[in-house]
Amino acid sequence: MTDAAAPCPARIERTFGPIRALDLALYAAASGDHNPLHLDPAVAQAAGFEQPLVHGMLSMALAARVLGDHFGTQALADLNTRFTGVALVGDTLFFIAELSRYDDQQAHYRLQARTQRQGEVLAGQASVMLPTPARGRLTVPVR
Amino acid sequence: MIDRRHIGFQTTATPVQVDPWRVRLFCQAIGETNPVHWDAAVAAEQGHAAPLVPPTFLKALESDHCSSALLLQRLNVPMQQVLHAEQRFSFHHPVLVGDVLDISRQITDLYDKRNGALQFIVINTHFCRAGKRVAEGVQTLLVRLPAQAPAAEVTA
Repeated sequence: MTDAAAPCPARIERTFGPIRALDLALYAAASGDHNPLHLDPAVAQAAGFEQPLVHGMLSMALAARVLGDHFGTQALADLNTRFTGVALVGDTLFFIAELSRYDDQQAHYRLQARTQRQGEVLAGQASVMLPTPARGRLTVPVR
Repeated sequence: MIDRRHIGFQTTATPVQVDPWRVRLFCQAIGETNPVHWDAAVAAEQGHAAPLVPPTFLKALESDHCSSALLLQRLNVPMQQVLHAEQRFSFHHPVLVGDVLDISRQITDLYDKRNGALQFIVINTHFCRAGKRVAEGVQTLLVRLPAQAPAAEVTA
């Protein structure tokens, strides 16, 4: 388990889903991405997929929540995601954020999301601003 | 091949307002339950003048200014061959509900791999408020030749 009280956990795990068709309809309305591959099972099947595809940007929004729920939305300084695979309606997304390094201001995490069905669907990095008390502690000389 | 003379093309910045109702809907869509994104009192307690937008909501604002589909039309690239390969956001200052952001997009790179079989389009997006840069986005699109292009994540 991750220690939620630590300013800079070594690892954060989150699970989202299963992703429903309703989630994709809501995301399409909110984002303006109405591509039928995300909404119409027939179009998805014609393209060779059993179910509509989860918007890559929805996966990225969930990646932002992995860090934002822990550090606060405003702490996120940088988020970079590569869409390395495809998640489908019905899939559950398993996110892992692993601390790669930190300094007195920011913590840098490696991100990965996987589904049970296909493996990795997203990989990337995130940088978060550390809370001021942590920064203060780190700058106090150790005696 | 996409003509490299398009590198450097930049849209004229237009103002885009952050609509509270749309932010609320976006939160619903991504399962965001933190009221700092819609409750002004909660936002004020945390020192913000208005509710905070979720980080990747910037993509929706960017599309309001100029969708990637429109830029692809300019490059004469069919949407069906395009995958959203990578997305980055850098956040400099919080974006708040009610803000009016001046948004512009620029094609910053066009390159290929595997002797042109895979072509990449890099688009930077600048988000400014009152002349000050608040965030930047970098979108990388992958264009695959038809013979090798089973449809996948097609861009907005």
